[in-house]
Amino acid sequence: MDANTGIKAWITRPMLITFAVLVSLPFWIDSVGLYQYLGVEIVIWMVFALGYNLLLGYTGLPSFGHGAYFGIGAYAFGLSQLHLTQSVWLGLFCSMLFAALGGAAVAAFLSHRRGIYFALLTIAFGQVFWFLSIKWHTLTGGEDGLLNIPRPDLEFGVFSVSLDSNQALYYFALAMFVIVVIGLWRLIHSPYGTVIKAIKQNEMRTGFIGYNVWLYKWSVFTLSASIAGLAGGLFSMAQESAYPDVMSLHASGFVVMMVLIGGGMVSFWGPVIGAAVYFLARDMLGAATETWLLWYGLMFMAVVMFKPEGIAGAWQGFVRRRDASADAEKKPVTG
Amino acid sequence: MDFLLNLAPHLINGIGLGLLFALIALGFMLIVGVMEVINLAHGSLFALGAYFAMMIIGPEPQWFGSMGEWYVGLPAGLRYSIALVLAPILVGLVGMLLEYCLRGTYGKDPLFGLLLTFGAAMVIEELIRVFWGSGEQVLQIPAAISGAFIWNGLIWSSYRFFAAAFAIAAIFMVWLFLERTPYGAIIKAGAHDSEMVRALGINLSRLRLFVFGFGVMLAALAGIIMAPIWGLRPHVGVDAVIPAFLIIVLGGVGSFGGAVVAGVLVGLTVGITSAYASEWSLMSMYLLLIVVITFRARGLFGKKSVLEN
Repeated sequence: MDANTGIKAWITRPMLITFAVLVSLPFWIDSVGLYQYLGVEIVIWMVFALGYNLLLGYTGLPSFGHGAYFGIGAYAFGLSQLHLTQSVWLGLFCSMLFAALGGAAVAAFLSHRRGIYFALLTIAFGQVFWFLSIKWHTLTGGEDGLLNIPRPDLEFGVFSVSLDSNQALYYFALAMFVIVVIGLWRLIHSPYGTVIKAIKQNEMRTGFIGYNVWLYKWSVFTLSASIAGLAGGLFSMAQESAYPDVMSLHASGFVVMMVLIGGGMVSFWGPVIGAAVYFLARDMLGAATETWLLWYGLMFMAVVMFKPEGIAGAWQGFVRRRDASADAEKKPVTG
Repeated sequence: MDFLLNLAPHLINGIGLGLLFALIALGFMLIVGVMEVINLAHGSLFALGAYFAMMIIGPEPQWFGSMGEWYVGLPAGLRYSIALVLAPILVGLVGMLLEYCLRGTYGKDPLFGLLLTFGAAMVIEELIRVFWGSGEQVLQIPAAISGAFIWNGLIWSSYRFFAAAFAIAAIFMVWLFLERTPYGAIIKAGAHDSEMVRALGINLSRLRLFVFGFGVMLAALAGIIMAPIWGLRPHVGVDAVIPAFLIIVLGGVGSFGGAVVAGVLVGLTVGITSAYASEWSLMSMYLLLIVVITFRARGLFGKKSVLEN
């Protein structure tokens, strides 16, 4: 592996391909029968899914209440725009900060736990936040949520960019996505990343070697929550509202499904593929039938039953088989 | 004394509710024990049980022509009893189908079982929408157990009493079955160490099939009893299964007594808070959970088990 030297440690070929596809997306998305706003949604959920996969795919911690931190981010953005001052940077900072605080508080309870207790407790805490968002009317606006959240211009000190058009918003979200991708890529290939992967394989042994497993689990949960918060903040920018639905058990389940269908368990790019597949399925199946969730659910069940490594896993298997047969063709020369 | 008397209806409601949650939790726990699968479809099967019961009770079964008319002519109590038996069995069959799908995930990361059942939950919920619509439905209950009566100057709902009594009886039956029959012994052994049970010559796949069916039957039964209280919506399962999860964590995974105690505790908490701050009644159980797990990591009666790995 020469991935540890120079620019290649930061930017890889799959990254460039992904970025190229996403940068050009606004130019061809209309011609394939989709619409600009879909791109915004896809990129936002890609950010969310990537952050979530840090927990599920890399640390092996199944959180089933991650929508809560996405929601906290969305509300934090909305509240900061409505009650403090209108600034994208401040809003997204609040999103990440409050989601991280929420995540840190929950993780303090969770980080001793493993397996079923962990999964059940994440569900319980997720529901707590969802419940608060519905019942705390004065802060969150109850079931209706926060409406008419402004979408301020992007200030760079000397100049500012309007984000009113979906295209401008898309490129802003994409910039955030690029930062998250590169940041996570570096994190995963850092010593810290090695430790969390070790925790996934065997938590007890990692502890025996001398790593503070609790601290690693706590910090990775908090980090993942803050990325979810960033995605949530972008989402409330895009929707110009924040509502409790994104915090429900269903929304939390969707991000798990995206990560799994895409192949987050075996690949860095799994969540990215999965988020794209989810939204394409929603729009294409949704156009064909009202019960698209039924078919998507069946598709998901089939993936879990027959190809639990997801799309990225299937691709890796294909490449491996192709390489193996290429090797086999070379070898007979000696015989 | 007056204070207690005023609180009494809430306590009865709470205990009934808590025991029904405990019934759901018990089925869930058996499945976790024997298959090491967190069955996220448990809530949807709870709802499905109630919908099946609604179909069976009527009042307008168009199928079977004159047979249908004869059937509708039967006393409501009888139709209700038939539903109480038949609907859980049907749900049990659906559960067995789900278990069959789950077979590929045994021995892999437990996450896959959990994800498969999440997908199944979605599919079942959508199927309910397709067949019965998204709107609120009503499950008819016989006159004998509906209505209200006045006792000691307070209005009591008969159905709440019925629900509490039914839940107590059902939990007692489950206890009898698990503790006093050889089948129960096998299930408990399977929950403890399923490989060992296979080594002793028990057909493990049949055991799993049966336990899954049995576990979801308990959920369906709770669903039928709960439906008149909560109303019937496609996503009603989530409201039921979350408290059941809480009860398991509270009581400790794998503990029958723990589930019942935690169920009553949650029920009482919800009952009492609903008397004073009904808006927040469901929130109180989360707070209860957080308090308990802060002091007791594995819940009230939990022991260390393989499921934590």
